[in-house]
Amino acid sequence: MSIRPVTLAALLISVVAAAWLVLRWDAEPRTWSAESVAVLESLSLASLPPLPPDPTNAVADNPLAVELGRRLFFDTRFSANGRVSCATCHQPERRFTDGLPKGVGIGMSRRNTPSIVGTAYSPWLYWDGRRDSQWSQALAPLEDPAEHASNRLMTIAILVEDKEYWGIYKALFGEASGVDTMYANVGKAIAAFERTIMPTTSKFDRYVAAVVAGDEAQQAALFTEDEVRGLRLFIGEANCTQCHNGPLLTNNEFHNTGLINFAGEVPDKGRVAGVREVLEHPFNCRSRHSDDPGKGCAELDFARTGAELIGAFRTPSLRNLDTTAPYGHKGQIATLGDMLIHYNLAPEAMIGHNEAEPLNLSARELAHLEAFLLTLSAPFTMAGDAP
Amino acid sequence: MIRSALALLFLCVALPQVGFAHGGVVEEDDICVIKVNYLRAHFKIYQPRVTAHEQFCEDLPAASESVFVMEYMHDALQAMPIEFRIVRNATGKGRFARMEHVAAIEDLEAETVYFHSAVVEPDVYTIAHTFEEEGDFIGIVSATNQDTGEVYAAVFPFEVGFTGWGYWPLLIGLLVLIQVQYLAMSGRLRRWFGRAGPAVLLLGVTLLHMPHGAHAAEFVVTYSTPDGAPGINRMQSWILHVETVEGVPVEGAEIEVDGGMPAHNHGLPTKPRVTRDLGGGDYRLDGMRFHMRGYWEIVVTIRREGIEEAVVVPLTL
Repeated sequence: MSIRPVTLAALLISVVAAAWLVLRWDAEPRTWSAESVAVLESLSLASLPPLPPDPTNAVADNPLAVELGRRLFFDTRFSANGRVSCATCHQPERRFTDGLPKGVGIGMSRRNTPSIVGTAYSPWLYWDGRRDSQWSQALAPLEDPAEHASNRLMTIAILVEDKEYWGIYKALFGEASGVDTMYANVGKAIAAFERTIMPTTSKFDRYVAAVVAGDEAQQAALFTEDEVRGLRLFIGEANCTQCHNGPLLTNNEFHNTGLINFAGEVPDKGRVAGVREVLEHPFNCRSRHSDDPGKGCAELDFARTGAELIGAFRTPSLRNLDTTAPYGHKGQIATLGDMLIHYNLAPEAMIGHNEAEPLNLSARELAHLEAFLLTLSAPFTMAGDAP
Repeated sequence: MIRSALALLFLCVALPQVGFAHGGVVEEDDICVIKVNYLRAHFKIYQPRVTAHEQFCEDLPAASESVFVMEYMHDALQAMPIEFRIVRNATGKGRFARMEHVAAIEDLEAETVYFHSAVVEPDVYTIAHTFEEEGDFIGIVSATNQDTGEVYAAVFPFEVGFTGWGYWPLLIGLLVLIQVQYLAMSGRLRRWFGRAGPAVLLLGVTLLHMPHGAHAAEFVVTYSTPDGAPGINRMQSWILHVETVEGVPVEGAEIEVDGGMPAHNHGLPTKPRVTRDLGGGDYRLDGMRFHMRGYWEIVVTIRREGIEEAVVVPLTL
C-alpha cells in the first residue's frame, strides 16, 4: 500500500502547524505593557520610601539607642532560665525566623515567629496586630510565660546592674524613674535596633530595573522563562497583589485566608481579638509612655473592628520565603508549594469568611509562581553584627 | 394508584429518620443552625485531620479531632456565658433524645466526655474535642441570660463514626418523583395549580422588579484629596463636597462614611469619619486608606432635616 503524495503533504502540513502551535503556545513574551511595568515598579525595592519617623519613640533613630537595643536583642539574661533572647526565635541566619511552626522559648508560643525585616514600615505588629509600635511589641515577649517568662522588674534589675547598659541607658533616658517608664524605654532601645533591619535588592528588583531600562539581555540573564511566567501570574490571574502589594509585598493589613487550625487547638480568632487588645493596651500610641502621646495616632483612631476581622491575620512580606518556612500564622503550611495549593483551592474558612477565591491554576502554573516567589530573596542589612 | 400508595408508604417510613433527627440543630437554607431557645447561631463541625475543610452539621465520620463552631446570628449571644458539654447518649432515646431525657441521666458527669465551663466569647464560639471512640453522643449548649438568670439550652444528639445515609435520599427522591409524575399524569397537578399558576408567576416577577427603598436622589457627592491622589497603603484625608442635585451646597449635614470592595466582599481597612464641617458643603474626612488595587465603592450617608441618602462614590485604584 502506498501513500498518495497529497495525503503525505497534508500530513506534513498538519505536523508542522501543530508543532508551531505548541511552540507559540509555550513561548513566553518577554515584553511588558506600560501598565504592567508600573505595577512591577510599585513592587520593587527601589519604590520603598524612606523610613518614616516614629514620633512615639524619641530615640528611634539615635545610634546609641540602636547599640543598646542590639545588645539587648541578643542577650539571654533577660529570661527566666537565662537561655532565651529575642534572637532565640528571631534568628538572623533565618531572616529573623526560627524554622518552627510555632516559636519555642521557655515554652511554646501561640503563633509562628514572623520575620523582623522591614517591619518598621508596618503600622501594626504581630499576626493579629495587637501592638501598634515596634517598641511596645518588643516588651510583650519578655513577660510572656511561653517566651522569655521574665518580668519588667527583673528586666530593669539586670539593666541597672550591667554597668555598660546602665551607662548607655542614662545617657539616653536619664536617671531611674517609674518601672513602667523604664520598661518602655527598654522597648524603645530594642525598637531602635529593629528599625535598622531592612531588606536588600533581590533578583526580582534587579529584573524590574532591567525592565524599566529596556535591557532585554539583562532581563534574560536574570529571569528564566518560568520565573517570568510566575511573575505574570503574580501580578495578574493569581491575584497575589491584592494583598501582597508595595515594595515589601505586603499591605500590612488583615485578611482571612481560610488556613486550617493548628492540631488540637480551636481556630485562632486573629485580628478581631487583636484590635480589641491594641485599643486598650497600656503601651499603645495613646498611652503616657508614647513620646507623642495622643497625637498622630491615626491608626488607632481609625482602626476597624468587628466581625469582618474574625480569623484575619496580617499579610506577611513575601521577601525571603526561602528561609522563612513554615508558613501561616501557626506555621500550619510546611512548604511554599503547599501554600500555593491552598490558595489555588481557597477552601471555606473554619471561622469567618475566606476572602480568597479559588484560582483554578494548573500544577505547572503553581510551579511557575513558586519559581518567581523565590526570586524575592536577598540578604538583609542591620546595624552592627550579631555577637 | 397502587404504585403511588406504595411510594407514600415508603415516604412515611423513611422520613422520620431524615427530618426529625436534629434536636436543637437544624438545616435552614443550606446552612446549619443551632437554636438556643430563641437565639440562633450558624453551627458547623470540622474534623480537620481527617476531612480538612469539609463542614458537618452534626453527625461526624470519624473518632477524631473535632472543632465545633458557632457563629452568632443573634448579637445577644456575644455577651452571654456559654457552656458546652458532650455526653454519651445514655438516654435510650437515640436520635430523639431531648432536654428532659438528658436531665434524667443519673450521673451526667460519668457520661460526660467533654466539658467547657461557661465563658463569654465575643465574635465566635469554638471548642475542640478529640473523640476517643465512635458512638452516639449528645451535645448540650447552655447560654445564661445575665439579666434574668435564665438558662437557655440546646440539645443535639449526634453520631461519631457515621457512615452516611447511603442510598436512602436517592431512593426517597425517586419515590417523590414517581409520585409527582403520577399526579401530573392523572391531571391532578394541573387542576390544583392550573388557574393560579400565571398569577403566581406574575406576582413573582413584579416582586423581583420592585426597586428596594429607592427614592429620588437628593445629594451629589464629590471629593478632593489635598495630600495627593488616592493610592494604597497610605492614610489620607479627603475633602468631601456635598451638594443638592440643584447645585446648592449642603451645610451642617450629618455624614457617615463606609465602603469596600464589592468583588472581594470586604470593607475598608479603616473606619474613616468626618472630623470637621468646613462650611460651604465641604467636610473633612480623616482616616481613609485602601489596601488593595481594584474597584472600590465609598458609601457616603448624608442626613439632613429628616432626609437620609446613601451616595455611592465609585473609585478604581
